[in-house]
Amino acid sequence: MSDTSSAGTNFPRRDARDKLRGRTRYTVDQGRPGMLHAVLLRAEVPSARLLSVDTAIARKMPGVRAIATAADAPGRHGIGIADHPLFATGCIRYDSEPIAAVAADTLAQAEAAAAAIIIELEPLPAVISMEDALAAGAPLVHPQWRDYEVLLEGAARGGNVAWEATVVRGDTAAAFARPDVRIIESAFQVGRQNHLSFEPRAVVASYEDGRFHIETSTQVPWTVRNVTARILDIPASQVRVTVPAVGGGFGLKFDCALEPFAAILAREAGRPVRLVNSRQEEMLTCLCRENAEIQIRSAVTEDGEIVGREAVVLMDCGAYGGEQIFLTTMTAHTLGGNYRLGSVKIASRAIYTNTAPNGAFRACNGVYNTFALERHTDEICDAIGMDPLEFRRRNVLGDGDLGATGQVFEGNVLGPMLDRMAGLREAKPSKKPLAGDRLYGRATTVGTWFVFVGPSAATVNLNADGSATLVTSGVEIGSGSMMQSLPQIVASTLGLRPEDVIVRTADTDGSGFDLGVGGGRTTVSLGAASQAASAEVRRKLLGIASEMLQTAPERLVLENGRIEIIGIKGSGTTIAKVAERAQQVVGPLSGSGSFTGPGVAAMAGCARGHFIEAIDIPVFAVHECEVAVDPETGHVEVLGYTVVQDVGRAINPRAIHGQIQGGVVQGLGYALHEEVTIDANGRIRQASLETYRVPLAQDVVPVEISLYEGAPSIGPLGTKGAGEVPILNVAATIACAVSNATRRQVQQLPLTPPRVLELILGRGAALSFPHIANAWRDNVLTPIS
Amino acid sequence: MSLHLNVNGEARISSCDPLTPLVDVLRDEFFLTGAKVVCREGFCGACTVLVDGHPIMSCLLPAGMAAGCEILTVESLASGGNLSPLQQAFEDYDAVQCGMCFPGMLMTLTSFLKQEPNPTRDDIKTALVGNICRCTGYERIVDAALSLIPTA
Repeated sequence: MSDTSSAGTNFPRRDARDKLRGRTRYTVDQGRPGMLHAVLLRAEVPSARLLSVDTAIARKMPGVRAIATAADAPGRHGIGIADHPLFATGCIRYDSEPIAAVAADTLAQAEAAAAAIIIELEPLPAVISMEDALAAGAPLVHPQWRDYEVLLEGAARGGNVAWEATVVRGDTAAAFARPDVRIIESAFQVGRQNHLSFEPRAVVASYEDGRFHIETSTQVPWTVRNVTARILDIPASQVRVTVPAVGGGFGLKFDCALEPFAAILAREAGRPVRLVNSRQEEMLTCLCRENAEIQIRSAVTEDGEIVGREAVVLMDCGAYGGEQIFLTTMTAHTLGGNYRLGSVKIASRAIYTNTAPNGAFRACNGVYNTFALERHTDEICDAIGMDPLEFRRRNVLGDGDLGATGQVFEGNVLGPMLDRMAGLREAKPSKKPLAGDRLYGRATTVGTWFVFVGPSAATVNLNADGSATLVTSGVEIGSGSMMQSLPQIVASTLGLRPEDVIVRTADTDGSGFDLGVGGGRTTVSLGAASQAASAEVRRKLLGIASEMLQTAPERLVLENGRIEIIGIKGSGTTIAKVAERAQQVVGPLSGSGSFTGPGVAAMAGCARGHFIEAIDIPVFAVHECEVAVDPETGHVEVLGYTVVQDVGRAINPRAIHGQIQGGVVQGLGYALHEEVTIDANGRIRQASLETYRVPLAQDVVPVEISLYEGAPSIGPLGTKGAGEVPILNVAATIACAVSNATRRQVQQLPLTPPRVLELILGRGAALSFPHIANAWRDNVLTPIS
Repeated sequence: MSLHLNVNGEARISSCDPLTPLVDVLRDEFFLTGAKVVCREGFCGACTVLVDGHPIMSCLLPAGMAAGCEILTVESLASGGNLSPLQQAFEDYDAVQCGMCFPGMLMTLTSFLKQEPNPTRDDIKTALVGNICRCTGYERIVDAALSLIPTA
């Protein structure tokens, strides 16, 4: 029996006080004696042969201590395919690609020396858009793509198609040929989104006793360790990564970034090296949420049964595959999610272009796949004349239903969540009067995302003062999971107060492997490992206490820092006394725990080229909003926003509410005005906050929130990750509401005033993708039997 | 040439070029790293400090221009072990996430609430027009500030 009273409370975060006092030292605030300052020399063209890099003059410049180029970094890294060198090697593939790195006594000296490096280039043709990349005879971004090491077998690749994941379940051809169906086809296009985490990517590296110590702003200390080793061609054990407080991540820092540059320079100089991206570098090389193009077609009966669905999703991975290779997997579970499908074919392709690589961003491609799916769903409802809420109630995935890849879903979750939303809607007046003379729209959408489980490790040491120390590779990026949910989980297992659980900051020398903080996995995976470690401590603790109290362990209960005999308050002793006793008789008490995703089965043969064929922990969301659209200016005002979110179990409701408000607002930026565009030279136009418009205080509304508890989850105490999913269906909901307000088909994001005006005036050309073939089969390299 | 600055009530001497942005002097010379460099263009507000009581983007102000002025940074707000009422409200409302914008938010709102003791919710949002937060979605920051208004 264990006391779980500390779960389910609004435990405050312990890092707030120092953050509010300006005392927290993020990576950008770190300094070391003798520290050098580094800069990168970056390309200013999108595609060229790199004939020579001459650093002779630069090396003689004042203050210069080290210069690194491609010769210092032999390895290539990547997800699925090792296509990415640290420095441009042989050729330049995107504007701002690093060519050389310089460390000097001062930043100004490093900048001056970088400017003195002489490079010789021969221009090569570039493919800037996915349409360019897929055109017949297009130049290849990686002519040598066949030679790269493949890290995960099974996907089709070819030319500028970096990766292709396909889903084939059932006979869509037969479904589309049925005489009793309507065929509805839609096309969508979205741009990139910049995370704009306030702390840029930043690192301080040093080389001591034959090993690298990398202190960095990352979500993935173990990835940094392993990728740095791979690039430098050294054993991974030679790299130690530690992580101070991280000033925002949102997925940007879910990859190795600047760390290897600083490491190489530190080794050469024999001194610590600091490398921090300027805001302009962050804007130009941000691993954005990718731009994408989506074509989707459904065969639907008059009573709203979706008997067939075919979709093609093109994701721009930029010059290197990166996270998009993995994300091709997630199309099956997002665009292919939400609804029961009689048959389905999905092609999800990552496309190389000569543009800055993209990456992971909170709920990743789920955000635009949900936009596409929900807008398509509303277009279906228009076509068959069915109320969109009724259509969703009839079709959302429920207990025993099959997902796109044939996995069997457990529990009725989305249906009751729609009912919950209906209750909230009925309980309050519409905000329509606030629209005044403007066009008013309302929409409700559903979304499916997942918890990215995978391996985590934890150790718990029980100290003789009755406190516990939790050692993991988890990182606090701002979401609070390391500050709130983890200590709450450990405390609830050990009967301690969460404030008595010390959470050690990530250090790959001190803690076991972890996949990283992202994908909503911290509370679930690190939480489960922490719970297992705590359970081992608890068993040992009860063993000792049982002797001390002359009572069987199963008759003991841990609560409030004490071990009591069940039903007899004050009968026992303190945990501290038991820990102290244990130290004398068996040695200090500790426990270790580990976790990984158990794996859920897909239907055999459905999915090709997928990293995850079925999702271990689905997470569902229902969003609703009301908007006013000004027909004179095209401005969209959000009048009200409501979220019903599947959280499994809310162990810190107040913290989850904070995540939902913040995630929805990031989604509003994506839906309405955060726009990244790329010029003809492959350079991102929005190089600063002057042109990249994020939500301000005046743009936002308080989100009305209802946490849906009780859905099945393998997470500790029944939890699911809660920080990732709030952004999932914001763009979908806004787009559907704007469609309803304007009676026009929204096909593109963001819904900036000019775009909305075009829509209202009917001036925008309908989307068409010459590079997406009409017949689904003509879009895939994968042989489909 | 040395520059005489009054920072958080202390006389400080800097050897920097007077054109150096004030934020760099505060952070790199005085190790007052509360003020954050996020955009260096005056858009984000994370480097906001008070100069003679006015909230100023310290990335845009040459340090020489602050000579002889009273400069207050976020490090000055708490006294002893006690947070200022606004800091305390932010903690009580669980408003903090990554924390990078809060030094600037605090300086802007501390100055604003002094000038405008009875603001509305909209007034507070207007006051935050120069302070971006990427994590929280703002509403809790506004809630916390409003909690200090006796009539609200």
